[in-house]
Amino acid sequence: MSREYLKKAIAEDDKEKLIRYVRLHFGDGNEQAGTDEIDKAWIEALKRLIDFPPTNRKFIFDAIEQQSEETLAHLFFHLHFYFVQKSGDWIHDGNL
Amino acid sequence: METSESNQPSDETRDNSEIPSSSEKQLRPGLWDVVNERYPGSMIHNDDFVSMATLDKPLGECRLGFVSTSGVQSIGSMPFDVVHPVGDYTFRRVPSDTPADQLEIHQLKYPTDGANRDVNVVYPIERLREIAAAGVVGELTGNLYSFIGYNMDPRHLERTLAEDIADAFEEEQADVVLAAPA
Repeated sequence: MSREYLKKAIAEDDKEKLIRYVRLHFGDGNEQAGTDEIDKAWIEALKRLIDFPPTNRKFIFDAIEQQSEETLAHLFFHLHFYFVQKSGDWIHDGNL
Repeated sequence: METSESNQPSDETRDNSEIPSSSEKQLRPGLWDVVNERYPGSMIHNDDFVSMATLDKPLGECRLGFVSTSGVQSIGSMPFDVVHPVGDYTFRRVPSDTPADQLEIHQLKYPTDGANRDVNVVYPIERLREIAAAGVVGELTGNLYSFIGYNMDPRHLERTLAEDIADAFEEEQADVVLAAPA
């Protein structure tokens, strides 16, 4: 099963299998689309910081300090999709 | 649902010709190659089949349940977790008298354009009410059910989500359940 496949890849430190899985998830089964989506999310995050806007660093530190690593990992995936959506270029309409 | 865990070839080396099917015919040859290419190791392999159940009373006297992989849920309920890399193994109860315009879809992996215009194309709640009113079935269960199809551990799905939904239908005293993929 796929989770077992992933756990085996983690145990073997098979980074290529792991990142490929992430790309496939982000690209709805299309690996290249997933790669592009990762780039898109990071670019969107970068664009929002380029002019030194005020940010709530206390919130960030509190979250990192108070929330579990699992919750933060989950948040990481949420933030990916959040910034992809903010880009205005939403590919997740099931048509890939 | 029974699943054999023995003698399973690895996901990458599985010979798809081993996979039996109803009528012993694979209707979409090559499908599993595509799925395994896109979602490595995601396919479950069942060696055992559940025998076909028979109704013990006329359909017109049966309480009908419905379950769908469409990710349809009542507005205001906790959205399905469409971002989780391994999937969401929860389900939502949708009261069977819910107005169609009080439903929404949380799902990324199938085209929802049509369903957003008319949810009945994936979650035929109004059609089901119509056939119940017409006496085709006796009545609907109090709740209909929904989950999302992006679940990358089918065995976990089988042993948790599927069992939970089966238990829920038993509580609902369903005589028959219609299951529909999205």
